[in-house]
Amino acid sequence: MPSPSALQSLDAGAVHLRLAHVTKRFGDTAAVDDISFDVPRGSFATLLGPSGCGKTTTLRMIAGFYDPDAGDIVLGGRRINELPAHRRGTAMVFQDYALFPHMTVRGNVSYGLRLAKVAKDELARRVNETLDFVGLGKLGDRWPNQLSGGQQQRVAVARALVLRPEILLLDEPLSNLDAKLRVQLRWELRTLQQQLKMTFVYVTHDQDEALSLSDWIAVMNAGKVEQHGAPWEIYYRPKTAFLADFVGAVNLVPGTVREVRGGQATVQFGERSVTVPVPADTSLREGGEVKLCVRPEALGLAPRGATTDGAALPGTVARKAFLGDLMRYWVTIDGREWIVDQPDPGASTPLDGEVLVQVRPERVHVIAG
Amino acid sequence: MRSLQREPGLLLALLAVIVLVCVFILYPQIRVIITPGTGYIDFLSGGTWIRSTSQSIQVMVLSTTTAVLLGFVFAYAMVYTDMPWKPFFRLIGILPLLSPPFVVAASYLILFGPRGLITYGIFGQTISVFGLGGIWGVQTIAFFPFAYQLIADVLSRSDARLEQAARNLGAGPWQVFRSVTLPLSRPGLGAAILTTAIYVLEDFGNPALIGGTFTVLPTQAYGLISGFGDLPGATAVSTLLLALALILYVAKIRLDGGRSFITVSGRASSMPRPPVPVVLTWACFVACLLLAVVILTVYGTLLVSALTLNFPNNLSFTTKHFEYITSDVNGTALQNTLIFGVVAAAFSAVFALVAGWLVERGSWPGRRVLDFLLIMPAAIPGLFFGIGYATAFNEAWLDWLDRGVLIIISMIFWNIPVGYQAAVAGLRQIDRTMDEAATSLGASSLRGFRDVLIPMLGGSISVGFVTTFVRAVTTLSVVIFLFTSGTTVATIRIFQLVNDLNWGRATAFTVADIGMAILALGGIALLSRGRIALGAARA
Ligand SMILES: Nc1ncnc2c1ncn2[C@@H]1O[C@H](COP(=O)(O)OP(=O)(O)OP(=O)(O)O)[C@@H](O)[C@H]1O
Ligand SMILES: [Mg+2]
Repeated sequence: MPSPSALQSLDAGAVHLRLAHVTKRFGDTAAVDDISFDVPRGSFATLLGPSGCGKTTTLRMIAGFYDPDAGDIVLGGRRINELPAHRRGTAMVFQDYALFPHMTVRGNVSYGLRLAKVAKDELARRVNETLDFVGLGKLGDRWPNQLSGGQQQRVAVARALVLRPEILLLDEPLSNLDAKLRVQLRWELRTLQQQLKMTFVYVTHDQDEALSLSDWIAVMNAGKVEQHGAPWEIYYRPKTAFLADFVGAVNLVPGTVREVRGGQATVQFGERSVTVPVPADTSLREGGEVKLCVRPEALGLAPRGATTDGAALPGTVARKAFLGDLMRYWVTIDGREWIVDQPDPGASTPLDGEVLVQVRPERVHVIAG
Repeated sequence: MRSLQREPGLLLALLAVIVLVCVFILYPQIRVIITPGTGYIDFLSGGTWIRSTSQSIQVMVLSTTTAVLLGFVFAYAMVYTDMPWKPFFRLIGILPLLSPPFVVAASYLILFGPRGLITYGIFGQTISVFGLGGIWGVQTIAFFPFAYQLIADVLSRSDARLEQAARNLGAGPWQVFRSVTLPLSRPGLGAAILTTAIYVLEDFGNPALIGGTFTVLPTQAYGLISGFGDLPGATAVSTLLLALALILYVAKIRLDGGRSFITVSGRASSMPRPPVPVVLTWACFVACLLLAVVILTVYGTLLVSALTLNFPNNLSFTTKHFEYITSDVNGTALQNTLIFGVVAAAFSAVFALVAGWLVERGSWPGRRVLDFLLIMPAAIPGLFFGIGYATAFNEAWLDWLDRGVLIIISMIFWNIPVGYQAAVAGLRQIDRTMDEAATSLGASSLRGFRDVLIPMLGGSISVGFVTTFVRAVTTLSVVIFLFTSGTTVATIRIFQLVNDLNWGRATAFTVADIGMAILALGGIALLSRGRIALGAARA
């Protein structure tokens, strides 16, 4: 039975997919543990998380390959828990593509339409259209084993797209490809999704991929959704230390709240303190332990003695690495190492020895606990 | 489980498989086991079983030991040496798989019997060839090719790279074999030995022809029914036989996890192995040559006898034996053999495939039980299976059921394990995302099975067909309680003609029967480009 809360306030126009208190256990362990989220219609939604956190399990419950032990899955305003997998209209693109080796590219792409008993000319038209759309117009008569990895990936996408599914599920579809192709196909997928205005649910453990592709991200850890929202939110306003660390390089500095006043908090760390804005949904109490979260690129670096705005922390460069588009410094401040990224390293000579690390308070995010 | 509720077609298929398995595998066995009832007490106190049981175990130990030793030599030579004439030896090793094992006894009688070519013809002696010694010798020759196939399969699966590595570390060929190959293939070899032991234990034809007064369990069971009409006694003996076979089979499963088919290939394995000393190679070659001579003598005798007027006394060429076997009831027998074989093979393959799919891909409770029931016939002696069908289905209200159909059904289900396990093994090679891909595109489970899995299974489907066909045309013990005059088959006629000492006709029948198996297998081998898998269990 659908719980009232599952259907409540579900605006079919805005929310396309809703998971409400969904749990899946394998034996004693909960692979997915009471997760809830809404995926906006027409969005590129990504489930991001480390290996084994339950992303695939979640996706497979949406597809109908697993039955949830508890909770509701609502697609387009309709509860689909009881709907057999083959009637859900949730076409899926698999990590290893799962192309049918005994069918040609055209055979693969037309398979779903043949099952749906689509008329012959309509079928041919849609298959050709889709093959052209993904840039495989000329390869229709090839066999899957005659295609490169990238082409196979496109066939897998075309095979799912041709059905005009309600929603497209993709489980790490790019992870078997080399780095360069991965980036290229990433953009193709994004473009495709925007042209079709279709809802994509995409699973990955690669935060770059998630941040660059998505309209909406849910970060999972150990079967739970730790936070969901826009990529920007996740990156700059993570709710937990795990999240902050998982979506990119970060400085996490433990501190103690000394004073909270007017949306500002003064946090002491070591011998120093900084006054920073308090995030909207975080409540801080005086004396509470917090973590200061600063992205390396939000910090500035200057030689000792330079005049700086904002707080400047004196430190020593411990080591540095040239990463091409930026120079990464590890600076020791009061015995703790900070990561500082400086863009465009070619523009100036690298710093060394005694330096000042500039911290702009408005770029510091506070994580409670 | 839920998927069953959502897909009625799936539920229906599953129910059909369960019902068929219960009716045609489980029920007949239960009938045999319960038939004696209180008769078990009389039977056990009567004590006749003690002698046949101990004699059964005695020949089993003797024949298995020698058959495995010879089989091992043959297998080692084929897998490890680069002796000449390997393709020839490979064919020699396959030939006995395609013939009823009891033809070795027939050939033996022609050569060594009271009026035998060698004993009487050459040495002018009439010696007693019946009894333990004869059975031992005949079973050794009849079953060493099976032991060879099983052992060669185990040895060729041992990793050649490990052996190369051991040689690289300075071990000699014998050391490598003792310290690397043997320890690694010990479970497989153990399973091969046990499987050979089951063949020997359930062998009915050879002891029936040359056992004389030396009874073993299968011949005792047959004798009780055909001689005294003592069904309770016969079923009690059969149950004892089943118990022994099950013990061996359970031990085998513990060793190899229940693999009951091997791939018999017309080609050598491609993996190169470290070379063995020249002396050993030639010793192996001589041993194989001797064994090949024995095999060729067995089958050559049959062929010559089939084509001569009265072998060995009158060696003039004739086709009259072949004319005889293609006329009247004998023609019908040959025709029945072919039809029963093909029909049983086709149904068995299809049923095994569907059952394998339901068990391998399903997630419903109790599938372990179904899995066990589907593998169990591999442990059931053919004689027991035949008595089971005779007991369970010889009912007045089943009179409308054609005996031929019953024989076909018995062959279908007796041979299920091989096709079933081949299907399961084949399905395990296909990633589940294939099924899911079909499902996510809108295919029901059954539809995905048909459109995606079956075409991808390829060769595994033919395994069940080939094995069932070969075993159907070569089995004697399963049909011996089921045939009627209109539904007699080649092996029955051979058995009867040998008992009548009508050698010309018996051997002509044998040649025709084996020829049929060779043609069928050759055809399928051509279709599948040389690789065929053959069930190892037989009776
Ligand atoms: N069929 C299954 N049976 C038992 N446990 C399973 C099964 N599928 C997944 N699990 C377990 O559930 C947990 C979540 O698995 P899941 O495949 O969803 O992880 P994932 O986030 O997709 O990881 P990855 O990035 O490695 O693909 C893991 O601990 C896994 O071992
Ligand atoms: Mg996964």
